[in-house]
Amino acid sequence: MIKKLILIPLLGVILILFMIAMTDLESIYNNAGKVFFSSNAYLDTGSLNAVTAIYLDYRLFDSLFEAAILLIAVAGIMWISQHKIKEKNASFMLDKYKTPDLFITFSRLLYPIMLTFGIYVIVNGHLSPGGGFQGGAIVATAILILYYIDISKTIDVKLIITIEKILFLILLFVASLSFFTRDGLLFTNFIGSDFTQIKAIFLMLLNIIIGLKVALGLVSIFTAFLKEGR
Amino acid sequence: MNPILTFIVILIGIYGLATSKNIIKSVFCVTIVETGIILLFLNLGNFEEGTIPILTYIGINIVDPIPQALMITTIVIGSTITSLALMLCIKIFHHYGSIEWKDVLNKRSQK
Amino acid sequence: MSYAPVLFVFIPIITAIIIYLFKKIRISLIIFASQAAMLIIFIFYVFHLKDNPNDALIVFGGWDIRFAITFYIDQLTLIFVGLTIFMWMVVLLYTYRINKRERNFIFFLLFLEGAFMGLLQTNDLFNLFVFLELITVLVTILIAYKKSGQSFRAGIYYLLINTLGAMFFLIGVIFLYYAYGTINIQIILANIAEHSDTNLVKLAYVFMVGGISIKAALFPVFTWLPRAHGVAQSTISALLSGLIVKAALYIFIRVNNQMFLAANYSMTEVFFWIGATTALVGVAFALSQKDIKQILAYHTISQIGIIMMGLTSFFATAQLGGLLHIVNHALFKSLLFLGAGIVVKTYNSKKVSDIRGVFQVMPWTAVLLIVGMLSISGAPMFNGFVSKSLIKYHDFDGNILKTIIFMLINLGTVTSFIKFSQILFGPKTVKVKDKNIRQHISMTIIALGCLLIGLFYLPIGQILNLDFSYAKLWDLFKFLEYFIYVGVGYLFYRFVIAKDFWINRKLREVSVTFENANYLFIVYMLVLSLFMFL
Repeated sequence: MIKKLILIPLLGVILILFMIAMTDLESIYNNAGKVFFSSNAYLDTGSLNAVTAIYLDYRLFDSLFEAAILLIAVAGIMWISQHKIKEKNASFMLDKYKTPDLFITFSRLLYPIMLTFGIYVIVNGHLSPGGGFQGGAIVATAILILYYIDISKTIDVKLIITIEKILFLILLFVASLSFFTRDGLLFTNFIGSDFTQIKAIFLMLLNIIIGLKVALGLVSIFTAFLKEGR
Repeated sequence: MNPILTFIVILIGIYGLATSKNIIKSVFCVTIVETGIILLFLNLGNFEEGTIPILTYIGINIVDPIPQALMITTIVIGSTITSLALMLCIKIFHHYGSIEWKDVLNKRSQK
Repeated sequence: MSYAPVLFVFIPIITAIIIYLFKKIRISLIIFASQAAMLIIFIFYVFHLKDNPNDALIVFGGWDIRFAITFYIDQLTLIFVGLTIFMWMVVLLYTYRINKRERNFIFFLLFLEGAFMGLLQTNDLFNLFVFLELITVLVTILIAYKKSGQSFRAGIYYLLINTLGAMFFLIGVIFLYYAYGTINIQIILANIAEHSDTNLVKLAYVFMVGGISIKAALFPVFTWLPRAHGVAQSTISALLSGLIVKAALYIFIRVNNQMFLAANYSMTEVFFWIGATTALVGVAFALSQKDIKQILAYHTISQIGIIMMGLTSFFATAQLGGLLHIVNHALFKSLLFLGAGIVVKTYNSKKVSDIRGVFQVMPWTAVLLIVGMLSISGAPMFNGFVSKSLIKYHDFDGNILKTIIFMLINLGTVTSFIKFSQILFGPKTVKVKDKNIRQHISMTIIALGCLLIGLFYLPIGQILNLDFSYAKLWDLFKFLEYFIYVGVGYLFYRFVIAKDFWINRKLREVSVTFENANYLFIVYMLVLSLFMFL
């Protein structure tokens, strides 16, 4: 009890330090980023969405390692759980006596809508808010809705993990193609033309690869948790 | 006002970490701290008014897009760490039979 | 050739994925091919960099420097990269026969090398954070690899504490971004003096240093290190103690000694005392332990304290001594851990009191362990001597108290290694199980490295353009000083430690719970900010 009573004033001191620091922010706020990106992002990269331009062209290196951390998390969770990779089937069978019929019917309605919406978000990442990571999470949720549908679906987990690693290698390959086609620049768009519509093909390709990879990764994490629960 | 509120969210997460007796509660407090950081970063840039960073016409006044791109990465990292930590919690429960810190850290495992 | 740093990052990663995807055991010979390739590229790259110094900054994509990701390779980075390639080669040689069927283990180990190379070379603060988190996740999986109950609890303790530290580092980076408009380390370094007296930048400094000191295992927040070492395999212990903790010290050098240098925050006294406290607490705990690996783990903490005492002083000689001690500590601590791994496996027990007669059973291993022990306690002719005398050279600016503390730490180190060396004597009790030539070869390579730096440090210093001449080797007084330390240490051990007083038992049973560790972290941050703002 005494620990909790002393803790609250200590956290209060940190809060007061933060409030003092906030008063300096208005005077030294530096908006170089906003000025640069609002004038250059469309012409340099071909995407209307400035955020997609940043994480797929200016800072592509970061996104590669973000995909890598998902890969490692999937590999680690597969190793730690008792999911032996040699078992091929993770069955999505439903407890018929516990789930009400309303859920099952609704899930059957929602499944195609969510899948289409997820693919729309992935492919249109450079024109509207969205992108590979966000759309991949939506597609993963759509596949997991199958848990509520009364189909005993079996998923070959080993195949999913292998495809995910091959997708990571393909991502590395596409990202480093620019070394050959654009005269020694690394990790940027490999299409060197000035027409922004053609440059956007690179962004769409990367978004699709990242979206697929994220979706497969999240589905395999979920099947590992399912297996643990039995 | 907004940045101060998000900093209070971070401090609530830290308070939870320093006083929680249950492992799963600690994992969720780390998630709260991470969510607070994402909100803090996005809110600090709100000094000048601007719209979402989609460049629909030339001369549009957008908000700074770099924090948003960095926070996409942070969200993915946070969810990765949460899922790994929760899987470790499940295995600890199988081996020790309880998920309180004091039982797990001091006793021997039962398997 | 100017893109060699990118090859350092991606060769291990692609090798790791190829090993995971293909099933044949012969494929694992590709490990050694990749390590040899990296060594050759490294040697060529060092010469290339001497001729073209403009290549030290690599900009990805050719965009504006303020907003693109960049790599910056200077001498500090090259020393660390060379050390990393050497350590990974030795560790892979050591673990090859045992683990060659464990494809997952080699996958995670090689991926860790790639991520570590990325952390050492990047020039962008957010990229540093991403690599830091990637390393945290990888080391958690490697600690929990054996899937026993204790590995899981050590794993989750490690994961949650280190994530908290990395999150605080990120808050510091956020504040710096809004103050300077960029997250490029070299640009912030050049412009730091513009806003460095505002409270925002001071708070950013406190958060960054506080967050990184969890990963560096400094005084109140080091409690994850002994737990992690108690359960990990000896290979992982060697890498964790030797290199992963040094990554945090590398970030500390970049933030404290380079980025915020022009800001003149004058925190050198504070960090000296934090380092001294860390060293003393580490040695005190090490003297009370009965488990071989825990003695070595607490020793790591005390050596990190000594490194901090060197890195944060005014004198360039002491800073150089701290940097050299990082390299030396990686070498001799991994030698001791790898040797201890062989001993534990042969004797099937971890307690010092159960293991006797290593000298009779495994003579070559015993000789290598003696080399390690002599190096860590600072005997002349080995590498620990060079770095410790560099740190001590200016006598801490004449301050008697600091010199006494340094001598006490040395005494404690010598005593605890006398305690450790009791395993070497005595009669032969077990038979050797299987002789693994590769393990012995790898450990011999490290021991030769220790001797080499110990004897030939002057020419090595001249090649690297660093001045090691303050450490005088062939001075009779230094040999005499070392023998006095050993004598006093032996007496101390005989009459105090071996009797196992109640204070030893109390210290052995101290274990900090998770909530208390977080509590200590908050108190530590408040103490740092107290010294900063007042």
